[in-house]
This record gives sequence, C-alpha cells and structure tokens, in this order.
Amino acid sequence: MKPRIIIISLTSCSGCISTLISLDIFPQFLERTKIIHFPFILDVEKIEDCDIALVEGCISEDSEIGLLKEVRKHAKKVYALGTCAAYGGILSLSNSRNIKPISTYIEIDGIIPGCPPPSKLLGNILIRLIENKDTILSEKVLCSSCPLRGNMEENLDADIIKINPNPDEIVLGEENLDCFLKRGILCLGPITREGCESKCIKLGLPCEGCMGPVSKDFTSNIINFLSLVSLSEDLKNYEGIFYRFSKPKLRR
Amino acid sequence: MIVLLKIVDVCTRVEGHGTVKILVQNDEISSVDFEIGSNRGFESFLIGKKLNDVPKIVSRICGLCYASQTIASCKAIENMFEIAVPEQSILLRYLLLFGELIKSHTMHFFFQSLPDLFQIFEISQKPFSPYELIRYDSQLTTNVYELIKIGNEIERIFGGRSVHLITPIPGGLIYLPSRKNISIARKYFQRAIINLEWIIEKFIDVFSNHVPPKEYDLPNVMYLGLNNFDNFDRYRGTLKIKENERNSIEFAEKNYSSYFEKDINLRGIDFHFDKSKRFLVGPISRYKITENYEIDNINTYLEYFDKSWQNGVLFANFLRLLEMYFESQQGLKILDEPVLNRRIILPSLTSLKNSEGVGVIEAPRGMLLHHYYVDDNSLIKKAKIFIPTEINISIINDIITKFAQELYNKTGDINLVKKKIQTVIRAFDPCISCVAH
Ligand code: SF4
Ligand code: SF4
Repeated sequence: MKPRIIIISLTSCSGCISTLISLDIFPQFLERTKIIHFPFILDVEKIEDCDIALVEGCISEDSEIGLLKEVRKHAKKVYALGTCAAYGGILSLSNSRNIKPISTYIEIDGIIPGCPPPSKLLGNILIRLIENKDTILSEKVLCSSCPLRGNMEENLDADIIKINPNPDEIVLGEENLDCFLKRGILCLGPITREGCESKCIKLGLPCEGCMGPVSKDFTSNIINFLSLVSLSEDLKNYEGIFYRFSKPKLRR
Repeated sequence: MIVLLKIVDVCTRVEGHGTVKILVQNDEISSVDFEIGSNRGFESFLIGKKLNDVPKIVSRICGLCYASQTIASCKAIENMFEIAVPEQSILLRYLLLFGELIKSHTMHFFFQSLPDLFQIFEISQKPFSPYELIRYDSQLTTNVYELIKIGNEIERIFGGRSVHLITPIPGGLIYLPSRKNISIARKYFQRAIINLEWIIEKFIDVFSNHVPPKEYDLPNVMYLGLNNFDNFDRYRGTLKIKENERNSIEFAEKNYSSYFEKDINLRGIDFHFDKSKRFLVGPISRYKITENYEIDNINTYLEYFDKSWQNGVLFANFLRLLEMYFESQQGLKILDEPVLNRRIILPSLTSLKNSEGVGVIEAPRGMLLHHYYVDDNSLIKKAKIFIPTEINISIINDIITKFAQELYNKTGDINLVKKKIQTVIRAFDPCISCVAH
C-alpha cells in the first residue's frame, strides 16, 4: 500500500513547499505515495487519516492550532518541514507576533530543518519516509564540516565587529581560507546544525543559522558561544542575530 | 425580510491561504471578496535592521518570488549609496530572475492553471488531480519537470541555492567565474527553449480554437509595469501606466509616490487617480506595455489568438509561456557576455548618500517596489513594500463579483459559483504569501 500523505502550510513563505515540488524526485514521490491533502496542488479540503503529514510554517495565529491538531489526530507521523515549523523561523524577528514552532502544540515525529531545507537532505528524508524508515539528522554543528575549519583555533578568542563582510572584502575559492570569527565577522556555525554543505560559507558569507540549533538548549549554547567571543557594543545592541530563526525560550 | 448569508470558501491550488467570501442577500449575491489573512509584519520588523541584513530577510516574504524580493531590496539599498552595480552582477541578477520566473510560471501553469483550462474549455468534466495531470501526456509532464529543474538549477548555480538565494547582496552579486557552470547553464537554457516551444505549440493546438467564455474578459484597466524604452525588461527601465494607445505616463521609480502610495498599517495600495480606475500588473500588463518581445516566433505564436483571447484573463496563461521562452533566449545571450568570465571586486558600501532609497523589479506576478528610509545610524527607520498581487486584488474582486452574480442568477447553484470564481482567481496567479508580507 502506498503511504497516504498530507502536506499543509501554516504561516509560511511557501518556500519549503516550492522546494519540495521542485525536487528531482517529486514525480517519483507522487508515484510512490497517495497524496490526500495538499492545497497547493490539490482541490480536496477534507483532512482524512494518513500515514505521514508534513507541516510547513509556524503557528502565528490561534486559528492555526485547530488545523494542526486535526492533522495530528489523523496522521500516524507528523514532521516539521523547514525551520519555521521546526523552530519558529524568520518571524521570530517580529516583536508583535507570538510565533511558535509546531511542537509547542503537538507531539512531532521529526523535523526537516533549513530555510528552506537543503534539496538533497529533503529528498533523502522523503525517500526514507516513503520506505517507512525514520529520518536521520546529523547531531554535529556546522563547524565540524566547515571548509575553513583548518584555520579555526580551538580556543578562539575573537573580537566580533560585524555580521557581514563588506562587499569588497568578500573572498572566494582558494582565497576563502580564514574562519569568519577570526576575521571579526560573526558566524553562527558553532551553534548551527550541519547539513547544508556550508552553502553560505563557500560563497564568502558567514552562517546566519538557518538550519537551526542542534541541541534543545539553544540559549545555553549561545551563552557558551558568547563566552568565547566578544561582541562589539554595536552588535550587542543589535536584535535578531541569534534569534533570527527561533525565539528565546522564556524562563518560567 | 432580508436574509443575509455569508459563504466562505477556502481557495485551493493557489499559493498560500486565501478565502472567498460571498454575501447572499435575499437570494442575490451582493458581494464577493477575495480575502487574505493578516500581515506577518515584515515592514515593521525591518525597523532597526542594518541595511546589508535586509535583502536576505525580505527574501523570506515569499518562497516563489524570493529573487525578486531580494533583488528589489538590493536595488533600493544601492539607490541610497548611489553606487554603480558592476555590469557582471546585473547580468547575473537577470539570470536569477529568469530562473525564478521559469520555476514559478511552470509550477503555476501545470498544477494550477492547466486543470482549470481543461475544465473551462470542457476538455475534461472534472478537474484533473495531480495524478491524472501527470498521466495526461507524458511528454508534457517530462517537459514541465525539466523546466522546473532548469529554473532550480539556474538559481543554484548563480544564486547558491534554489530558494532564498545567497549571492545577491547590496553592491552586486557574489560570483566566482566558472566556464563549466556557464556551459551547463547554456545547456539548460537551450533545453528550456526546446521544451517551451513544444509546450507553446501544444497549448496552441489544444486551446487556440476555443473561444474563452465572456465571463473571463478583462474590463478596462490601467496597465502598470516596468519597461525599458518599450522593450520587455524586468530589471532596468522606467515605470509606465498605460490606459490605451493614446493615454500613458512614464516616470522614474523614485517618483512613484506621485502616482501611488500605501499606508503600511492598512492593506492595499492607493492610486492617485479617479477611484473608479482599476490597475493591473503582471504578464498581461507587461505585454500591453511593451507589445514587443523582439523575437519573431513569438509574434507568430501570438497570431493564433484573436481578440476574444487577448482581452481576457485566461490569456495570461499563454503569456507566461511566452515570457519563459523570451527569457530563456535572453539567458543564452547573457551567458555569451565575456564580462561573466572576469573576476571582479564588488564596490564597497561606505558612504550613504541618501536617507531613503527605492528599488523596483518586475516580479513574476508584476511590479514589486521596495522603499526604505534610514535613521542617523544607517538603520532602517521605515520600510514600504508594494506587492503586485495587492494591486490586482481590486480588479480580481470586480471580475469575480460580476461573474458570481450572473452565474448565480442563472443557475442558483452556489457550489458552482464557488468553483468557478476560483478559476478566475487562479488565472491571476495570486501570491498570497507576498500579500501577507
Ligand atoms: S523555513 Fe524558510 S523557506 Fe520554509 S516556509 Fe519558513 S521562511 Fe519559507
Ligand atoms: S551556512 Fe548557515 S545560513 Fe547558510 S545555508 Fe548553511 S545553515 Fe543556512
């Protein structure tokens, strides 16, 4: 029996879904599954029992909670598709909206992180899901596979003065050798999950953390990280560097 | 007694969450509204952000028009610094806009509009499911899938990733010249041209003999779009508002506010014209404004469609194919430019010349404009983002209201009304994520 699939979006940019539809394996995915609810391409509105539900987007309105719970009730497994669903995502920058990852309201069976999830990672995970296998994600941070790693010192004690290199300072290819932190540029590699093949870093830009954290206790990771580097006053007061893709967990 | 009935229906096969609200009063439809949920607040959380941080944040407004959002943002920032963007970067930005357009238009054509066209022209009785669609014509499916892949790969090669691009930054575009990549990209565009010719001819074959129902006609509208000395151009040029052959105005993007404006606390865009005028952006406007793609085949293709087609919203579906075809040819020309093989250093962004800046792009769905203001510390103080679909909503509502009233009077079948008006909405290819920015 082909696995029955539901794909829904909550508050999102549709980038995860457009990534999914444009995967090389999407036609194969269609052939090997039975999609029963996917408003982007299908007219059916009813939510029925399914094997796998993929949820894109975060919860930003109460009205979305009902739909999410309805999907949970009908799905054997629910996965958060993308960083919005997994951690809250880019709307974490908003002060006026109360953004929550879907795991705040329902139990989930796994996440597929990234903004959007890297195509290879997403493709591999979808195939595993169709074959009724569990998803696997690396538990390592981006630094562990960074191409600039050779130049990173274990006890780095860096003065960070900016979040991006100036356009004229961007170096590529064989010149792109030095760890950003050593160059005084904030890179979130040390606290971000690997899996993106260091896309930004290879293009001369530091990581902004779109894959989200590895450990659940992100805040204490940030505190550890900040004890290693010193941020300029300007950056200390700048909002939305560390919490660009997730809100800090509030102490109760 | 007045009986008021509110019927709300969820729009499917569109990007994002939209609903149509139909008000029935004494068994007559009094109004129909295409509605979109509340804004996510991008314009407000951009406040306080550093300029070089903005383009990658606004990319997340939309996973279909990410390149347009990012590049419009870069242009607005570059306008503040008054820097000249290197020609190489400009050419590469075009390629990214082309890749985005190919992907976005192809997905819309196949999954969203084609099933409607089959139904409207009674080629099929009920809408095709995605499964029926991929089995309808295996060559079509293969071609469509190749196009989506081509769009994706162009983005990956020149943008660093296929959605939420990494390489476009204020000042230019990060790029390490690679002859191998150029030759791969060339193969992709060549392939796209072949596939598109096949799809365009198929479209002509299947649909050009049919006459689109009157309900899909466009009323008199004002077309708005970017154009470059009457040529099709989605990156450079001036804005133009055209009512007809005799009546048009052209202006620089930075002067837009003499013609339209928005209040970021309210939904919608105000045009400083007679309130009864409706404005349209997107493929139809681009076509009406330029009327010239400078490719002979395209003119031949266009000749298959008479006035009954050219005056209606359904024609946008064909124009989208032509736009992809045109831009694939442009892409090939760009790839031949020697400047792509040079290693360049991007200009530095040091001294801010203006405290505000405007950037405009013709996104796949129409004119997209970003306007930023900074404070004394060069941090964003205010941001205004003009979304194409926001402009089209008034005209969509006009058409669906009229359509619904007539159909309901004739049939009394509200379910049919709900279904039919969605086909109109989908023909406009609304981008709901963008509207809810
Ligand atoms: S994770 Fe990123 S790509 Fe996916 S919906 Fe959120 S903003 Fe869009
Ligand atoms: S380097 Fe960081 S920001 Fe860039 S794609 Fe990877 S995880 Fe995302």
